[in-house]
Amino acid sequence: MKSENLTLNKNGKFEINFTLNGKEISAQVKPKETLLEALRALGYKGTKKGCDTGDCGSCAVIFNGKPKVSCLMPAFAAHKAEIITIEGIGSVSKPHPIQEAFVEAGAVQCGYCIPGMIISTKALLDKNPNPSEEEIKHSLDGNLCRCTGYVKQIEAVKLAAKKLAK
Amino acid sequence: MPEIIEKYYSLKELWSSLNKLNKSRKYLAGGTDLTISLSYGEEKTELWIDISDIKELSLIEDRKEFVFIGAGIKVSQLENNPIVKKWVPALAESVKYYASPSIRNTATLGGNYVNASPCADGVLALAASQASVVLNLKNRRRTLPLLSIIKGPKKIDLKKDEIAEGFLVPKIKHEAVFYKMMARKRFGISKAGLCICYRANNKKLEYVSIALSSVAPSIVKAPKTEEFLKNKKIDQNIVKKACEIIKSEISPIDDIRSQAEYRKEIISVFLQRALQKTIG
Ligand SMILES: Cc1cc2nc3c(=O)[nH]c(=O)nc-3n(C[C@H](O)[C@H](O)[C@H](O)COP(=O)(O)OP(=O)(O)OC[C@H]3O[C@@H](n4cnc5c(N)ncnc54)[C@H](O)[C@@H]3O)c2cc1C
Ligand code: FES
Ligand code: FES
Repeated sequence: MKSENLTLNKNGKFEINFTLNGKEISAQVKPKETLLEALRALGYKGTKKGCDTGDCGSCAVIFNGKPKVSCLMPAFAAHKAEIITIEGIGSVSKPHPIQEAFVEAGAVQCGYCIPGMIISTKALLDKNPNPSEEEIKHSLDGNLCRCTGYVKQIEAVKLAAKKLAK
Repeated sequence: MPEIIEKYYSLKELWSSLNKLNKSRKYLAGGTDLTISLSYGEEKTELWIDISDIKELSLIEDRKEFVFIGAGIKVSQLENNPIVKKWVPALAESVKYYASPSIRNTATLGGNYVNASPCADGVLALAASQASVVLNLKNRRRTLPLLSIIKGPKKIDLKKDEIAEGFLVPKIKHEAVFYKMMARKRFGISKAGLCICYRANNKKLEYVSIALSSVAPSIVKAPKTEEFLKNKKIDQNIVKKACEIIKSEISPIDDIRSQAEYRKEIISVFLQRALQKTIG
């Protein structure tokens, strides 16, 4: 592959291109901006800022096929990447089975941590459709929830695995 | 603040372009350490060189007497790699204690090393595995003992533009135990950590190498304890003595994460548990 170069334009921004939920996107991002801030500025507000230091997992997105926290990535690093945010997984009118499972299991209270939880769950179930409870806990290691106490969320992941197996 | 980003996919490209770049510069790998300083406005460097997809840094290779692990390897790639599991079990073991799954998909082993933190889990495992670091500047390579260029937190003796290319681990048959104390069971920075690589035969430790985290300004080895344990048959008495020796050879400090006395105790408890494990 050939090297890439990004240089600040006259507005003091980098011009980047990437694929977001299957759509080609061009954006101008500030040099200090994180991917999380850039996504929210583009209107993708399902990706949440809980801590901005990598500790809570609420900003997770699927980046080139892998879950990553978007607050620990400069926005310019998204150039040429493929990104899926929670909006690319399901919507209120057409929820993904994992989202249905979280609602049915009562795993959602304020909802702030849930996009990150869904991303982590999707990454787990894509790789391992029938995880043990221990594996579920480890895959959610980086997702903090200040409301629910986690029990229901572990149940939600089990229910999601069942739904997806059907 | 970055003004120019250059991204290279091979060392050849990197070295041939470097002469043309006349700005203050910095390498970017996974960015988990760098992005935080960027967001806080602490980063003044104008040119950032993205090395996260350089192919030579992403290799894990079984070479004659050594295993080579590229500095660009992401932590999540270590867990189930058969070469790593066989020859560098400490590193495979360290993964589950290392940050969270989504950070492990981003963070690299090279970034963990160059960041030179006394809590670095990857460096702890590499140090116990007797690794050397391979540095590269325009294809001039230096292979040095892993800890020899780490001078303290965030202080490392690299030449201008020199990169950590990877790590060489000698192929010695052994097993490993990795212990890390943190504020909760998983996902936290170490208050104190111990990693031991060993081979036991009939309860005798034929091979033993011990490294410690968060008890000194950088990751350290425990040479006196190793020397004492080598070729000893492990029993209650030996365990007790080894625990005393290890406490006497470290001088941790009090800081926001923990207290010196607690750290000493924890290291001694970890050693005791680890030695019990070596004899099954
Ligand atoms: C929330 C959170 C939790 C964390 N938990 C842990 C943990 O549990 N254990 C742990 O050990 N660490 C932890 N870390 C620290 C961090 O994730 C690791 O140190 C990581 O491995 C750094 O790698 P990186 O690729 O992201 O480095 P970067 O941020 O890209 O780089 C770090 C430094 O190294 C330099 N650099 C990178 N690669 C090279 C190279 N090949 N040659 C020369 N210079 C290079 C960069 O210029 C920079 O100065 C955590 C960080 C966060 C934010
Ligand atoms: S906002 Fe990114 S991990 Fe909390
Ligand atoms: S539901 Fe409120 S933070 Fe998790």
